[in-house]
Amino acid sequence: MPMRLPPYRSLSPEDVRKIDQTSRRILERVGIRILEQNYLDILKAAGAIIDQGDQKVRFEAAWLDEVLARAPSQFVLYSRDGKNDVHLGEEMVHFANGGRVFRILDMGTGGYRLTMLRDVAHTATLVNQLENISLYIIACQAHDLKPQYYHLNDFYHALNFTSKHVMGGCDDAEGVKQMWELAQLIAGGEEELREKPFVSVISNPISPLTIDANTLKILNICGTSGIPVTCAPAPISGATAPATLAGTLCQMHAEALAGVAITQVCAPGAKVLYGAVPSTMDMRHMEYTMGSVEMAIMNGAAVQLAKLYDFPIYASGGVTEAKRPDIQSGCEKTFSNLMVAMNGADLIHLAAGMLDSGNSISYEQYVIDNEIIGMINRILSGISVNESTLGFDVIEKVGPGGNYVMEDHTIEHMKEEFFYPDLGVRCNFDIWEERGRPSMLSRANDLVDEILDDGREGLLDTDLILEIKKKFSGIQNL
Amino acid sequence: MSEFSSLTEAVIKGDIQTAVAETQSALDAGSNVQDILDKGLIAAMDEVGEKFSTGQMFVPQMLRSAKTMQECMKLIKALFQEGQLSAKGKVVIGTVRQDLHDIGKNLVAMMMEGAGFSITDLGVDVSPKDFTQKAQEVGADIVAMSALLSTTMPAMRETIEALQEAGIRDKVKVMIGGAPVTENFASEIKADSYAPDAGSAVIAAKKLLGIT
Repeated sequence: MPMRLPPYRSLSPEDVRKIDQTSRRILERVGIRILEQNYLDILKAAGAIIDQGDQKVRFEAAWLDEVLARAPSQFVLYSRDGKNDVHLGEEMVHFANGGRVFRILDMGTGGYRLTMLRDVAHTATLVNQLENISLYIIACQAHDLKPQYYHLNDFYHALNFTSKHVMGGCDDAEGVKQMWELAQLIAGGEEELREKPFVSVISNPISPLTIDANTLKILNICGTSGIPVTCAPAPISGATAPATLAGTLCQMHAEALAGVAITQVCAPGAKVLYGAVPSTMDMRHMEYTMGSVEMAIMNGAAVQLAKLYDFPIYASGGVTEAKRPDIQSGCEKTFSNLMVAMNGADLIHLAAGMLDSGNSISYEQYVIDNEIIGMINRILSGISVNESTLGFDVIEKVGPGGNYVMEDHTIEHMKEEFFYPDLGVRCNFDIWEERGRPSMLSRANDLVDEILDDGREGLLDTDLILEIKKKFSGIQNL
Repeated sequence: MSEFSSLTEAVIKGDIQTAVAETQSALDAGSNVQDILDKGLIAAMDEVGEKFSTGQMFVPQMLRSAKTMQECMKLIKALFQEGQLSAKGKVVIGTVRQDLHDIGKNLVAMMMEGAGFSITDLGVDVSPKDFTQKAQEVGADIVAMSALLSTTMPAMRETIEALQEAGIRDKVKVMIGGAPVTENFASEIKADSYAPDAGSAVIAAKKLLGIT
């Protein structure tokens, strides 16, 4: 959704500068721990300062600027059919679901269960249908699979049920390789895929200030292969980051810049998203809180920090501690998604489907969040003011005491001027009773049933499926 | 494709000017009047109903189509013999005494008119006496009352009493509606029907008069 104006900023320009300078000081003086000798050597050869004894790399300011300048400020996360390409760095706000949870609230039973491969296919189907979710992130762990085939199966079933861009967390470089080979087969060749990559990878450093061997390898293989990637720090204020929002942002910004810099050392010009998943601890009982308002403000601020360098950002919003789609989930999700969107994030992940501090999903929550995002998009598009919308002519025509119901002006504007909810209950009291007292949740449940109980076929061509299965014996049927 | 497809299309679009011109040219070309009605106008309104129920058309568009049909009907009405074609029923409608809110009442009136009822709209702040006099004058089948305020609701009871005193209570059906009005209140004041919204009002009116 294009923004008319950035109407909200978490930080003043002066405070953005202070945080950025502190982050750069962290990178120069404290450094990042690199848990792989090979990459310490690579970074050293590239001109970074290495503290061999404690496996640390430090970035001197001028060197850092030179490396960061290689990163693109715009690129596209392509969809397979070209209908849902996600343009990053063009002042558009996009939303994605969240990934790699292990539990699902199953409305079929009313209880929680472990997630399975079919949940990947189902959530991909939902995202494919839900217009306000721009791309699909591999939603959950398939507990019915062997770990060595996670990524292959995740991506295969996701790509079979959505033509939107598919992003996924990968555990190791081998997983990335399998996924990339699969995608090549679907794209019709490596060149085709490099030209318009419709898959991308999420990786994370470990806060505070550490990047492990797997993440380094993933950044390298993604950068050199042309796979868009993010290295998204998830510092927790009060636990793995200072118990101040400014301090957490300083550390997160340093970690995020390091992710971008290391990717650019491996592959200059690589398509990398500045990543941000800052959250907080509830210090009363040390409960991890992703739905806190501080999380919302910090992710808003993260957009400002990324934009200081003109980087596209992979930010976070729409998370909650609530265990069911309820009042808590509704308000926590709305706060963060709205706040981060109003700061102008290119991509807000975790924005749909999540419950239980990012550990669980629910299908119903996907469609509810799609509606919340629809309302946010309406807010972002603002109030259109022009000769026609000002409406003097129709006001003059109707005059005092009339009504506007059947006017041309009404019919001309009514469809694009208003957001029309699918789930929000707007009928009057009697109709509401007649319809069996529906709620947003009951209507979400109906919509999920409609989308999923359709005997929906996969999107991939039958011959292609046979070819894929021949090449990748690890692929399992649903 | 029906021979009246451009007429049908104009009615669906709510384009009064084109629809009236199409009706006139069909008449000039000697088309059967019953066919113009059935295959042109009613076929169009069937499609409008279908599009409305699936959310492709909104209320203002449906009302425009209904009004377009009414305008076309003026041209062909005269060509039917007495009794062959008559209004579905005569409705006297208004917002009750001391209540000046009328958007809900207007919506009901527009929807009922679109469904083929003949409407006499008395406007707002209509006294029991005015309701009664007008009902007698036009030979109303239905008196429909609206109130937005709980403080003006008692005027509905008074209007029903006025109809009784005038001796026409058994000749008219009384419908009531409005935000604070309920089914219970309707039976309490012995109204014949209550509808929660404009669409239901049309259905309720048809039911009261035994029209399908």
